[in-house]
Amino acid sequence: MSENTTQQTQTASTDDRSPTDDRSPTDDRSPTTTAGETVEQTREEWTEYEFRGETKMAVEDLDVHYGDDHALKGVSMEIPEKSVTALIGPSGCGKSTYLRCLNRMNDRVSSARIDGSVTLDGEEIYQDGVNLVELRKRVGMVFQSPNPFPKSIRENIAYGPKKHGDLDTGLLARLLNRSDADERDELVERCLRDAALWDEVSDRLDDNALGLSGGQQQRLCIARCLSVDPEVILMDEPASALDPIATAKIEDLIDDLSEHYTVVIVTHNMQQAARISDQTAVFLTGGELVEYGDTDQVFEDPHSERVEDYITGKFG
Amino acid sequence: MAGASEADAQLVEPNTTETDAVAGVAVGLSAVLFALAVAAMFERVSLTGSLFGVQTVTLLGGLLTALGVAVIAFGAGSRLGYVKTTPDPSAGLIAGIGAAVPWVVVGGAVASQTLGLGTTVGAVAGIATGGVAFALTVLPREDLGSTLPLGSLLALTGLVFLTGVIGPTWVWELGWAQQAAITAEFLIPVATLFTTLYGGWASAKAYGGFGARGRHMGAYVLVYLNALSIVAFLFILVAFVVVQGIPGLLNGAEIGLGTGPQTTILGISVTLPVSVPFVMNGVALFNDFQGVLPAIVGTVWLVAGAVALAVPLGVGAAVFLTEYADRGRFTQVVEVATNGLWSTPSIVFGLFGFAFLIPRFGNGKSLLSGMITLGFMLLPLVVITSREAMLSVPDEYRDASAALGVSKWQTIRSVVLPAALPGVVTGVILGVGRIAGETAPILLTMAGGTFVPGSQTVDVIGGFQFTASPPFVANPALLEATSALPYQLYALISAGVGASSNVGNADEFRWATALVLLIVVLSFYAIGIATRYYFRRRLTHT
Repeated sequence: MSENTTQQTQTASTDDRSPTDDRSPTDDRSPTTTAGETVEQTREEWTEYEFRGETKMAVEDLDVHYGDDHALKGVSMEIPEKSVTALIGPSGCGKSTYLRCLNRMNDRVSSARIDGSVTLDGEEIYQDGVNLVELRKRVGMVFQSPNPFPKSIRENIAYGPKKHGDLDTGLLARLLNRSDADERDELVERCLRDAALWDEVSDRLDDNALGLSGGQQQRLCIARCLSVDPEVILMDEPASALDPIATAKIEDLIDDLSEHYTVVIVTHNMQQAARISDQTAVFLTGGELVEYGDTDQVFEDPHSERVEDYITGKFG
Repeated sequence: MAGASEADAQLVEPNTTETDAVAGVAVGLSAVLFALAVAAMFERVSLTGSLFGVQTVTLLGGLLTALGVAVIAFGAGSRLGYVKTTPDPSAGLIAGIGAAVPWVVVGGAVASQTLGLGTTVGAVAGIATGGVAFALTVLPREDLGSTLPLGSLLALTGLVFLTGVIGPTWVWELGWAQQAAITAEFLIPVATLFTTLYGGWASAKAYGGFGARGRHMGAYVLVYLNALSIVAFLFILVAFVVVQGIPGLLNGAEIGLGTGPQTTILGISVTLPVSVPFVMNGVALFNDFQGVLPAIVGTVWLVAGAVALAVPLGVGAAVFLTEYADRGRFTQVVEVATNGLWSTPSIVFGLFGFAFLIPRFGNGKSLLSGMITLGFMLLPLVVITSREAMLSVPDEYRDASAALGVSKWQTIRSVVLPAALPGVVTGVILGVGRIAGETAPILLTMAGGTFVPGSQTVDVIGGFQFTASPPFVANPALLEATSALPYQLYALISAGVGASSNVGNADEFRWATALVLLIVVLSFYAIGIATRYYFRRRLTHT
C-alpha cells in the first residue's frame, strides 16, 4: 500500500508537471511558503495507516478553533493499543492541541471549540453525559514541564486515588481503624517502581517533591499519572526541559510503559520519535495531519515532500 | 576591559592608596555626622551639652568644616593631576540642580536676613547664588564640579556653627501672625543632616575616582544613608514608646510565688507567679495600682471576632472570583469596589455600624457591633490579597490535578488553597495591623467608659448560655459595651485632668497604655508571621 502511493507520487512528479500538483524533489521552481515550506496538496491516503491489533482511540474529522483561529483541520487517525504513537511537527502545528483533545483537556480553555468525534474503546468521548473524571482517569497526561504538587513525594502519588475515594488515610479513617495506609504505601511503591524512580527516592518519600531534580520530577509526574491506573498515557514533550541523561531515562521508561499502556507522545525531537515510537504522525503548519504511518516508513521513505523536508531539517 | 585594567594598575601605586584612604575616611566621617544629626534631632544628644569634652555645636561645626575641606581638596587635587582619577567631562544636570538648591537657600537667607536687605533682594541673591553653584557644578570637569560647590557649602555651614553665628540658643522669629520660630534645636540637626548627605555623596564619588565607578559609589552611599535613617527613625520611635511606657507598665510589678492574681485554667485554680498590676487589673477605687486589663481583653476579642468574620467570607469571595467567575466586567467591578472599600475612611465604617448595626443588636454599643464593623473593614483587604495569592498559583497545578480526573472543588481545596495560604495570611496580618489600632469605628460602635473596672472584663467564652427557646444560645457578653486599647488611649488623652486623677500619674498611665497597644499589635504580627512561616515551610519542605 505504502509503496504503491510512493510510486504514484513519483509518476505524478515525472510525468504530469501540472502547477497544482508539483512535488518533484529536484524541481527548484516549486513554490515555497515564507517558512521555507514547499506548497503541496495533502493526500488522504498518506494518513491511512493499517496496523495489526486493536484500536484504542479513534479520531474522526476533528476540527478545533481557538476563537477565529482554526488550529486543527479535519484530523482523522486511529491509535493502536499498547504501542507508542509519536506526534511530530513544527511549532504551532496543532500537535499539542490534538493531544489535549484526547482527554478533553481543551475543555479547560474557554475559547476552544471542538467539532468531530473521538472514541475511546469505541465510546464517543465528546457527547453529553461523559464522565470527565472517569475519562481522565483512563486517559492520563504528563505535561511538558514537570509539575509536581508542592507536597511530599508520597502525597503526590497518593493524591489522585485519595481524591477519587480509593484511598482513605484521613483522621476519621485512622480513628476508626479503617486507614488505607498500607494500600497507599504499596501503591506508591508500585507506581514509583513502574516509573523507574523507586531506587532513587525510596528513603525520602516524605520529602517535598520540589526538591527533586528536573528528570526525577518528570518521572514522579509519570508515576503520579500511573497511580490512577490509566489505559492511555498522553505525553506533551515530556523530555524537552530535561538534560540528555534524564531524557534517556524517560525514553527507556516510555519503552517499558508501552507493554501495558497505550502511549501517545508529542515531541520536537525527531531522533527521539524515531527511537521510541511504533508509528508516527506528522503535523505541519496550518493544523493538518499530513502523514501518519509506521515510524520506519515515515522517517525513511515519507510520501510527502514537505514531511521529507521537515524530517531532513529544511524547515521547522 | 581596558579601563578596568588601568584602574588595577593605579591600585598598586602607593600614592593612590593613600588618597583612597583619605576619601574613605571622609565617607566614614559623613556617616558619623549623619548619625550625630539624627541623634540630635531626637534630642538623644544635647546641643547645649558637650561630647568628648567639646561643645556639641562646635564639634558638629568642626567635623563639617573638615569634611568640606577634604572634599574640596580631593576635587582640586584630582583636577590638578595630583590624584589619578577617571572623571567625566561634567557632573551632569541633576548634580547641578542638587547643588543649586541649598545654595539658593543659603544665598537668600544671608541676603535677606543676615544683611537685612529685604525679601526681593534676598530672592534675587538666592537665585544668583544658586545659578553660580549650578554653573560651577555643570561647567567644570566632573571632579571639580561635584566637589567644589558642595565642599564650600559644607565648609560654610561648619564655619557658621564653629564661629557661633548660629549657636545652641539661636532663634529666628518668623514674625508671622501665628507664633512661629526656627530654633537652633531644629536648624542645626536638619542642616547637618542635609549637608552631610551631600558631603557623603561627594566624598564617595571621590573615593570611587569619579566617572562611572564614582557615580556608583555615590549612589551606594546615598542609598545606604537613606536606609539607615529609615531604620533609625523606626527604632527610635519604638524605643521612645518603650522608654516612656515602661515605668507605668511595671508600676507595682512583682515576681515570686503567690504574688499574682488567682486564675482558673481548665478548672484548676492557679496563683500566677508574676504580678503586673497594669495588665492584670482594671480601674477601681480600692486598687493599689490601676490597670487596663478590660481594654486588652476587649482588643483581643475584637480582633479575633473581626478575623473570624472576614477571613472565611473574604477567602470564599476570592475563590469565587479567581476560580469560578469568568474574568470580565463583573470581576472588574468587584475589584474596583473592593479597592474602594479598602481605602474608605474608618469613620465611615464606624458610622455604618452606628446607624445600621447598633439598632439591630440591642440598641446599645456592643462588642458584637464592633467585631462586625471591623470585620467589614478587614474584608476588602482579605479579598484583594487572597485573590492575588490565588492568581499567582501556577496553572500547572490546576492542569495536573484536572488531568488526574480530580474535580474543580477538590483541586481548589487541596492544591490551590494550600499554595495560596501564605499570601492570604500576609493579607490578614496587614489588615489586623490596621484594625487593631482603629479608634473611630469602635468609638461609635462598641466603646464603654474611660476607666473600666476589672469586673467588666469581657468574657466571651464564659458568656455563652443555653436558653430554652430558639436560637437556644445566648451570649450577653457579646452584647455589652466594652473597651479597647486605642479607644482607651484616646479617652485618656481627652478625659482631662479631673478624671485622670483617678489613676495617679496620668501621663505614665497613657504611655503605658500606648506601649501595651504596641505590644498587642506586634504580638498579632508575630502570630501571623509564624503562621505564614509554617504554611510556607509546608509547601517547600514538608
